[in-house]
Amino acid sequence: MTSIGTGYDLGNSIFSPDGRNFQVEYAAKAVENGGTSIGIRCKDGVVLAVEKIITSKLLKPGANKRIATVDKHMGVVYSGMVPDGRQFIDRARDEARSWRDTFKTPIPTADLASRMGGYLQAYTLYQQVRPFGITAIVGGFDSELELPVDGQVGSGPSCGAGGKDSTKKHGGPFLYMIEPSGLYWGYYGAATGKGRQAAKAELEKLDFSEEGISLEQAVKEAARIIYVAHDDSKDKEFELEMSWISGADGPTKGRHMEVPKELREEAERLAKKAVADDDSDEEEEKEGEKMEE
Amino acid sequence: MFRNNYDNDSVTFSPQGRIFQVEYAAEAVKQGSVVVGIASKTHAVLVAIKRNAEELSSYQKKLFPIDEHVGIAIAGLTSDARVLSNFMKQQCLGHRLSYGRNMPIRNMVDQIGSKAQNNTQHYGKRPYGVGLLIAGVDNTGPHLFEFQPSGMTEEMQAFAIGARSQMARTYLEKHLESFLDSSREELISHGLKALKESLVQDRELTVENTSIGVVGYVRNEEGTSYKVEPFTLYDGQDVSEFLEKVSDANEGGGAATAEEAAAPEGDSMEVDS
Amino acid sequence: MDHRPQAWGRPRDDVYGAYDGSYLNHGGPKNATQSPVVTGTSVIALKFKDGVVMAADNLASYGSLARFTDVKRLHTFHNTTILGYGGDVSDMQFLSRLILQIELHQDYELEQLPDIKAQRGQEVMQANNLFTFLKKQMYHCRNHFDPLWNQILIAGFDDERKPFLSSVDLRGTSFSAPSLATGFGAALAQPIMRKYADTEEQAAKLTREEAVEIVKECMKVLFYRDARSLDRYSIAVVTKDGIDLKENEQLEKQSWAFAERIKGYGTQTV
Repeated sequence: MTSIGTGYDLGNSIFSPDGRNFQVEYAAKAVENGGTSIGIRCKDGVVLAVEKIITSKLLKPGANKRIATVDKHMGVVYSGMVPDGRQFIDRARDEARSWRDTFKTPIPTADLASRMGGYLQAYTLYQQVRPFGITAIVGGFDSELELPVDGQVGSGPSCGAGGKDSTKKHGGPFLYMIEPSGLYWGYYGAATGKGRQAAKAELEKLDFSEEGISLEQAVKEAARIIYVAHDDSKDKEFELEMSWISGADGPTKGRHMEVPKELREEAERLAKKAVADDDSDEEEEKEGEKMEE
Repeated sequence: MFRNNYDNDSVTFSPQGRIFQVEYAAEAVKQGSVVVGIASKTHAVLVAIKRNAEELSSYQKKLFPIDEHVGIAIAGLTSDARVLSNFMKQQCLGHRLSYGRNMPIRNMVDQIGSKAQNNTQHYGKRPYGVGLLIAGVDNTGPHLFEFQPSGMTEEMQAFAIGARSQMARTYLEKHLESFLDSSREELISHGLKALKESLVQDRELTVENTSIGVVGYVRNEEGTSYKVEPFTLYDGQDVSEFLEKVSDANEGGGAATAEEAAAPEGDSMEVDS
Repeated sequence: MDHRPQAWGRPRDDVYGAYDGSYLNHGGPKNATQSPVVTGTSVIALKFKDGVVMAADNLASYGSLARFTDVKRLHTFHNTTILGYGGDVSDMQFLSRLILQIELHQDYELEQLPDIKAQRGQEVMQANNLFTFLKKQMYHCRNHFDPLWNQILIAGFDDERKPFLSSVDLRGTSFSAPSLATGFGAALAQPIMRKYADTEEQAAKLTREEAVEIVKECMKVLFYRDARSLDRYSIAVVTKDGIDLKENEQLEKQSWAFAERIKGYGTQTV
């Protein structure tokens, strides 16, 4: 940050002589201080997880959810400034609603990511606003089946709603990560927030192929990765929040929902064990990561 | 205090990713006198210290009823609180009109959260300079929320905001375990004791400077439905009976002193009614 | 022949009459819905001890034409509330989309609770809440002289967890009773249901089986006497355990023997 004090970082939408938009970079800094969020897209679904740092003992346990559903089939998790995240979710839900108003069908995950990317980008364009201080991970499962159109009351036309090629595969799990700049990519494993480096290193070890990990394994991996990415020495206690989305034939029946308590507790038990088991290894690993950084 | 380049408005991030204007607004909350809130399985209470500008002036209001089932306690700029309070009143009435039921507390709190967040993202606006504790009951039971100028809203088991509120929070943390199963009266006593912790030396809780608000959730015998015990405010002489219970004499003393202390209370109550 | 360029390609005024451009005028008086188009006939519902039964046939008529024969007119909300629509089918579809959005928002609220599984059922919006919303919506539309051309029955439970059944129509008129019926059903099925449950007390004595039997009997009477009805129908039962919805039922044990004795219609002269 050699350009601090040159004045190019004092207003949004200002380019510095070397082509940077500092306010957007500073917004990204706000994200780096937030609890770690991750998303995993595996063959049969998506898992979202977040490390919620407990800032006060007086918080009601389990009451302040950080993962939110958009429509029925998508979930959003984010790191950074929580009120900005709430605004992001409100907007995402509005987008999903307006899509249904127009097309009478749920918004595909890719389209939601595109619209939300555009929305965040718009907040980098004007001096009158500031960028969002969050990086959001959007996961969804677009139906593989022919869905009834909203308001459909009969069997509908035999060709379905149209636009689908019966010889091709439609829908499936999707995962996107959207940054304060509005930039977004699709991912198999996405991580943001404080522990993203460690989380990314763990995500890269997973097998996302058709023969790779299942949704339930992904839940356990997600829990483990959040535990690995958590920095005991710096941070206070945390709560693990996880959600998942499967296809119509899976455990969530195409809906985004919280991972059931029993499974979450099992995943947490395994995560704690895994972290404790290679405690000594981990120390070395962390040293190594820091060097890479 | 030193100024820096990044604290002129709420649309500029500092190089560390902070928004100073929002943080300064949070300081305004600490200028307000302390308020405490606690929730149990059946009730949510708010207690507050009221300030007066001078000896002969009236005391500043700290607790506001919003609807039958919600009330708020404020710390910071009263006029900002009024804006939020009016907004919440309208939302609750609107919800009651449309759906014929109490507005869910979380729903209402999220709405003021969004309103406040919006003020931190647009040039020419400023964050609200007030913090709130929101106590209410809905279909899912009693709730206590904290609202911050940043737009952050969190559900708490118990909390305190305002000047010297850290001491009250320490008290609350110490007694956290007992709150869930506390009775209405116990909950109020805990609130008042927490409030006491935050008092400046030589100051005491009096009928003039203390406000209490209670809202409850009463289940029917079968446990299938519930009724709201409406948000009730206690001010002036009405708080005396609650103050008696936490007076120092009562705290340390045995049964005899407790009775002595209770006697004048009975009298005063009769005079009042 | 009119040789002005602006008349080229237009139907001739002297043959077809002057062009009616009134639809282009905004701000003036306008004509909203004057009558329903594709319609569903009766919906009937009856309270019993532990809940409510509702039924409606699967026909959507276009005038007297039996246009669609697989139209589902019983909709559910959150597995706690049943909505039965009589009247215009497209207005029903509009309302069903509106209610889908309410359902989504309910889900957004519910997921914030610490333990969804433990809470679910009691904390969602109840039938009476949805009913309040619907009657405001219906009354609002009629006050804008653009009514949603339906009569709707809403069944489920109220805040006190008692069986709930109410009706609202295109005028925003609303009322409750132990049994309710829309359209032809109000004349043909209502008396039968009242025979068994005239009061709340009587309805509270009916068992589920009895109530279902009465409603099925009513559906048969309706099919016999209502020319815009069908023998395929949907029937739903709401109890505290949720909703049991069957959408493709067939009227059983029909007997048209009585038809022979009916005189005074068709080509008969006597």
